Amino acid sequence: MMDRIAEQVAKEQGQTQGMRLAYYPGCVSKSTGKEMDLSTRAVCSALDIALEELDDWNCCGATHVANDLISVGLAARNMAQTDLPIMTPCAICYSNLRSAARRMEEPMVRARVNAALTKKYSGARVRHALDVIIEALSKDPDRIAIPLNGLKVAPYYGCLMTRPRGGIDSPEYPTILEKLIRTLKAEPIDFRFKTFCCGGPIFATGQRAAEDVAYQILSEAKKAGAEAIVTMCPLCHLMLDAKQKSIELRRGETIGVPVLYVTQLVGIALGLGPDELGLNINSVSPMPVVDKVYQSFA
Amino acid sequence: MAEIATEKDAGFLKEIVRQAGPEVRTCIQCGTCSASCPTARLMDKKPRQIIKMILEGRKDEVLSAKSPWLCTSCQACVVRCPRGINPRAVMSAVKEICEREGRVPKDLSYDEIFQRQVRESGRASEAQISGEYALANPKSTVQAMELGLEMVPRRKISLEKEKVKRPEEIKKIFEELGKA
Repeated sequence: MMDRIAEQVAKEQGQTQGMRLAYYPGCVSKSTGKEMDLSTRAVCSALDIALEELDDWNCCGATHVANDLISVGLAARNMAQTDLPIMTPCAICYSNLRSAARRMEEPMVRARVNAALTKKYSGARVRHALDVIIEALSKDPDRIAIPLNGLKVAPYYGCLMTRPRGGIDSPEYPTILEKLIRTLKAEPIDFRFKTFCCGGPIFATGQRAAEDVAYQILSEAKKAGAEAIVTMCPLCHLMLDAKQKSIELRRGETIGVPVLYVTQLVGIALGLGPDELGLNINSVSPMPVVDKVYQSFA
Repeated sequence: MAEIATEKDAGFLKEIVRQAGPEVRTCIQCGTCSASCPTARLMDKKPRQIIKMILEGRKDEVLSAKSPWLCTSCQACVVRCPRGINPRAVMSAVKEICEREGRVPKDLSYDEIFQRQVRESGRASEAQISGEYALANPKSTVQAMELGLEMVPRRKISLEKEKVKRPEEIKKIFEELGKA
């Protein structure tokens, strides 16, 4: 309640002071998704969004915890650590926190889960970095220092960004990412695979199957003329970026499309440098794209 | 329409309903779940068939199917089911029963390794999970090494095991909420 009042007041004052959010980086921020974490922190700092890392956060369970109640418990423990709205840059964490918040509205579930928690859950507001950034940019579009000058970008949502229903956008035909791409003065391609699963959750147990799915997404994006693919999920990123070379080898075909986290794409448009955005640790180098954007700007 | 489970296997259906919700009983076998599933073509039994078999109480056949282990949890079926069933939760419930009864095939044990690590340390360290899985499944070593070659030079693999400050809180979640 207090949060809502505070938000309302902030809104009326034009929110010149910027936002304050609890930040849930997720496990991959320490490993395969380092550039997601780096670029999220850099972009938020540039947009005056203050992030407070969630105290002693734990894994959300990703897609690998079979017991539904344990999964809710893991997410609820995270959400109980703060009174601020919680922001995560990871589509999987976002989906899990959101699902759990909904399950916690069932009195039986809340009672049972709270009995297992040290700090009790009493409600939460979960946001994805995409939505936070869009809000900040809409208030202050002048922050875009380097317009992306028609760069052709494939908007790739993957599965969990919009699922279950009731989140940031429609699970069948989301368009929020296209809007952001246009705001940055890039051009979203019409990408029919945009909500298709990347195969990531079964990449260990069903390697070939998972790679087939990822290949379809990559080749479709390339055929449609994408100069970059933008994603919001570290597992999608791993499948499309880190595994792109292996997929090329097995297919005997060059793809060579860089895959950027949405925060990296926004960061480029804000004029942030490659180190701040982790652009040098992507597998398929996005530097040619960055150079192109800068050349057209100069 | 599916037959009603015999008394002998009614416990199985009940257990699935407890975990995945009572909507399971209302399945009309339309097949929207199978049609929406990105990995259905790889499954020995499609999601629609799994639900039918559950309603018929065919526990042993369901637990022997590879399908639940090929579910990517993408939830395409969840947002489309006209009966409000959560087929993803049905697949998870089947996996949980397999785990409890020690019926997880070794080559499909990734989820189990992942969960054990989260239970013990509260966080997932990808390098350790992939390593342990590769040890149990030599066939996947090539893939693990390929990924390692991508990740190590970029310092995206941490050999340090991540851990929460208060692991006892995580243990309690698993213990208390894992009870039937």
